[in-house]
Amino acid sequence: MALMRITSPHAHGPMSTARVMQNVLLATVPGVIVLTHFFGFGTLVNIIWASILALAFEALALRLRKRPLGFYLGDYSALVTAVLLGIALPPYSPWWLIAVGIASSILLAKHLYGGLGYNPFNPAMVGYVVLLISFPVQMSSWAAPRGVGELPGLLDALQACFTPGNFDAVTMATPLDLLKQNNSLLMDDLWQQNAQFGRWAGIGWEWASLAFLAGGLWLLYQRVFTWHAPIAMLVALALTAALFYDGGSSASGGSPLFHLLSGATMFGAFFIITDPVSSAVSTRGRLVFGALIGLLVYLIRVYGNYPDAVAFAVLIMNFAAPFIDQYTQPRSYGHAARREDNE
Amino acid sequence: MAEVSYRELSLNGLWKNNPAIVQLLGLCPLLAVTGSVVNAIGLALATCLVLVTSNTAVSLIRNIVSDAVRLPVFVMIIASAVTCIELLMQAFAYELYQILGIFLPLITTNCVILGRAEAFACKNGLLPSIYDGLIMGAGFGVILILLGGLRELAGTGALFADMQLLFGPGAADWKIVIVDNYQAFLLAILPPGAFIFTGLIIAVKNIIDARIQARLDSLKERPVKGSKRVRVTGTIS
Amino acid sequence: MRQVYDFHGGIHPPENKHQSIAAPIADAGIPEELVLPLAQHIGAPAIPVVEIGQKVLKGQLIAEPAGFVSVPLHAPTSGTVSAIEDRQIAHPSGHSARCVVIATDGKDEWIDHSGLADYKSVDRSELLTIIRNAGIAGMGGAGFPTAVKLSVKAEVGIETLILNGTECEPYITADDILMRERAEQIIEGAQIIAHLVQPDEILIGVEDNKPEGIAALQTAAEGTGVEIVVFPTKYPSGGEKQLIEILTGKQVPSGGLPSAVGVVCQNIGSAVAVRDAVIDGRPLISRITTVTGEGVNDPRNYEVLLGSSLAYLLEQADYQTNKNKRLIMGGPMMGFTVPDAHVPIVKTTNCVLAPAETELPAPPPAQACIRCGMCAEACPASLLPQQLFWFSQGKEFEKAEQHNLFDCIECGACSFVCPSNIPLVQYYRAAKAEVVQLRKDAEKSEHSRIRFEARQTRLEREDAEKEAKRAARKKAAEEKARLAAEQGSTEEDPIQAAIERAKAKKAAQAEGSNSAESAGEKLEKAVVTTRKRLDTATAKLTAAKEDGSDLVDALQTGVDKTRAKLEAAEKALREHQHAATTKEQPTEEAKPIDAAQVAIKKAMAARVADADKSPEEKAREALQKLEARLQKSEARLAQGKAAGEEEKIITALESTVERLREKVAQAQSQANETEVS
Repeated sequence: MALMRITSPHAHGPMSTARVMQNVLLATVPGVIVLTHFFGFGTLVNIIWASILALAFEALALRLRKRPLGFYLGDYSALVTAVLLGIALPPYSPWWLIAVGIASSILLAKHLYGGLGYNPFNPAMVGYVVLLISFPVQMSSWAAPRGVGELPGLLDALQACFTPGNFDAVTMATPLDLLKQNNSLLMDDLWQQNAQFGRWAGIGWEWASLAFLAGGLWLLYQRVFTWHAPIAMLVALALTAALFYDGGSSASGGSPLFHLLSGATMFGAFFIITDPVSSAVSTRGRLVFGALIGLLVYLIRVYGNYPDAVAFAVLIMNFAAPFIDQYTQPRSYGHAARREDNE
Repeated sequence: MAEVSYRELSLNGLWKNNPAIVQLLGLCPLLAVTGSVVNAIGLALATCLVLVTSNTAVSLIRNIVSDAVRLPVFVMIIASAVTCIELLMQAFAYELYQILGIFLPLITTNCVILGRAEAFACKNGLLPSIYDGLIMGAGFGVILILLGGLRELAGTGALFADMQLLFGPGAADWKIVIVDNYQAFLLAILPPGAFIFTGLIIAVKNIIDARIQARLDSLKERPVKGSKRVRVTGTIS
Repeated sequence: MRQVYDFHGGIHPPENKHQSIAAPIADAGIPEELVLPLAQHIGAPAIPVVEIGQKVLKGQLIAEPAGFVSVPLHAPTSGTVSAIEDRQIAHPSGHSARCVVIATDGKDEWIDHSGLADYKSVDRSELLTIIRNAGIAGMGGAGFPTAVKLSVKAEVGIETLILNGTECEPYITADDILMRERAEQIIEGAQIIAHLVQPDEILIGVEDNKPEGIAALQTAAEGTGVEIVVFPTKYPSGGEKQLIEILTGKQVPSGGLPSAVGVVCQNIGSAVAVRDAVIDGRPLISRITTVTGEGVNDPRNYEVLLGSSLAYLLEQADYQTNKNKRLIMGGPMMGFTVPDAHVPIVKTTNCVLAPAETELPAPPPAQACIRCGMCAEACPASLLPQQLFWFSQGKEFEKAEQHNLFDCIECGACSFVCPSNIPLVQYYRAAKAEVVQLRKDAEKSEHSRIRFEARQTRLEREDAEKEAKRAARKKAAEEKARLAAEQGSTEEDPIQAAIERAKAKKAAQAEGSNSAESAGEKLEKAVVTTRKRLDTATAKLTAAKEDGSDLVDALQTGVDKTRAKLEAAEKALREHQHAATTKEQPTEEAKPIDAAQVAIKKAMAARVADADKSPEEKAREALQKLEARLQKSEARLAQGKAAGEEEKIITALESTVERLREKVAQAQSQANETEVS
């Protein structure tokens, strides 16, 4: 009788990489719904087109690298990258913009470094930053939310994507742009004068942020990631914002609530910085990692050249992740606190 | 020094030991000024000229200068050559001179030049040194121009724009628009683009080398089965 | 309620304990053949004390321990020793090992045995001997000799005795059923062990998924001072280190023993075995083993004789061959697959798991690590498994060690949670093995380096000594030459004198006047030097033997050779002496007068003559002499050069000429001076 020889353990948990990725995809659903509600079908078209391209590029890269297609496509990681990039890009982006972004993400940031698990940088954010640097005009024109302008329909959205020359979207500055350009008004006055942005962080933005928060909390509940990095980032951002709020003067960097709910804060905290591959590994390391991202987001938003900062902050901290790991190795069982041996 | 083979020198400078993509010397100008073909040609010419001049001078004085002071002397020679080139450019291609800016005087510190002076010119006769300077400069220049072309094409969708800066007003219409209505891809023109494209060029070179090696290996005689074994020392891999 | 602590990480795999716990313990009976491996424990394998064909009784000693960390082996039933040979055993590597094979006779005849009526009355060391002689090794899985574990020194001061009834591995119920059915014996065993190690408290740690067992234990422990501590179920709380942390909040230092934090830990199965040995005088010849999994129709716990084959045991449980593709000895988390169903049950076999393919599916191919960190969360040793994996894969063993690779207890929690199905534990095992090998190699090379360096310094020292001697000799020779030159070279060239001396000697030798004696001297000298050499060689040999150096053989042959030479030399000397005595004694006067002496005398005479001359004359004379010598030397030099003499001689001649020229110049100036004055 030929018996199978396998090493222990023989039991295996229910978790698989594909399931982790599926959960992440599922968790983006509420956010995407809210975005679609407020900004029209642009984001949805972004996501779908990005997904098609991502799968194609992934297949191409796998073919070039002589890897089995089915096995690696089945891990959903390319889809996650595509969906995250699709959400991050402005709605009604032209097709080529998305194509360049996805190519940068999948080919440059992922497969050139060795594929899933070996990429030092978050692929979606590399794609985003490549686009942001290369095409600042397209990347900074956000569609006006529902209630401010006429929302384009699905057909318009498709047209915007595939025949961009024939489409003129109603765009407007984002709340972060507004804040960046403000240099004379008190915070209260600023928001009163720009009533289209609502009270907290901009119509649409605040709800989308809350939806992403909900999705993130669900992922936390599903134990897809630990709370350390996102919470550290949000707390650090809120604390820094509170520190520099300056009572809402004209020199204020904006309220903590504004920073938490505007731009890509929530999306970044729960969907971007939790990408395990490019972040720090230990829980302590993730606390540091997240907190520094929070701090950087605030600094770049308020003092940098670009209105939003999550992508840059994440990439910078990706650089630092191995360094953080080096110094946050947890104390193993039966070892005295590491302080002494470091002396 | 054994007899210098010009064939060997050419192969070294252009391919096997290319200063830009094998030795990775002089990366600073390589990455900084290759945003367009015209910049690349300008810097390539300047570098090549300096290389030839400095190699000539170093080779001439190689038996006079003592080892202890050779480095300062070489640097002085290079700096003088660079200054000459700079003045020439200022006179004949002022716009390009302004575009190249600091990278022109910085040729002095380009490691390719000092490297060739130290590794070749100070050990070889006049003619081989001149030839080495020329071919190394050409190897460096080819990569510069290739990189400049790639980045210009990717960045603006056109090639050979602003050639009048270097070749006079007649060259103003040399510009070839490859893609109409091209959306400027800033990344390619900005420094990150230089890194990415350099990396790609190196990768392509490595692929070609690997192919050649594979072909050579397949041409090699296979050992006959059952032939007498030869005793060798060390590990057999 | 006692405070229980938590340990980092841990997982909750499906327990599947219900399968086998429903039925009470059954007796597995006596198989026709028992195969008893000599190494069923950690430590040196036991040494058989029976012969093939010998009749043995149940409980009879069949192999005795080989050293302190070793345990004896007893016949599980009566029968005949049919073979002592290599058989396949249950080991992860699937290798064979020496076994005693007993053909049973079915009579189950006991050897005479008796227990102690009152164990408290006997000496501690005697109790330990009883436990040791009963062949008890840790029954939880590792199989460390129990007696060794219990022989802690009194001054260590054990605060807590912990009995491990955790049984955190899924599927296994051997300890659970033991608690349900033999709770009193467990308590009794606990008290015996407590008597041995004298702890401040006795705890039995049990996971809360065994309520019946806990109830039984609590009833039995009533009024004995043994405390049953119940804590939440979590794998691997049954790991010794984890259990100690749960119950005491203390962590065993890395690389240390539990006694370092005042704890002794024993499996409850071992406690029962200790009780049986002490109270009943019954050695360890059977154990409780769970047979479970969907591959058997009748999963339950068996009291099985050691050495029964897996196949025999499975047969009792109605094994379904078609349903099962792998047999696991131990639990699903840390057990290992056996190569063959005919391997024997040993002292550490707590479970035989025959899962259906759907029950424990074979692992899918591993994907890339996405560094999700789930393994780090699950790791009970607070390691960073993903980093360890990274380092193991990249063979960066130094880094892996820095990340405490050796604190990994191989519990499998990381592999269990890994979403990419990476066989992490496998990587760690391989890495550990390689590190151990590297360490060994490093030690070896360090050893040879030290040896090499010692040899090098010795050689250098010897060289230096030789050099010093040579320098001293040279100096002495120069001195002598100088003296000779000062005294006698005024008219005779020293080289000429030397040549003459040599000639004279040769002539004398040719005469053969003293040949016999010189030959005898030579022989004597040879004997003395050879003896000396022999002495040093022997000394070296003994030193090498003491060091256990591997040069002993080479030295031995050297000594032998030298001895042979010595004997030959001695023999030659004897023969010569014998021959010499028959010859007539050579006369002292026959020796020619030393040429040098003649020269000295001559020189002295010349000097006396000189003393009468005026300084002017003297100077002139000296000058003339010197010039003559210079000419002579120059001629000789030319001659030597022409003849192509050896370089040395030519240089010597050249320097002589040079010196003479100087002297001539000096003498000339002197002569001039004297003329002037």
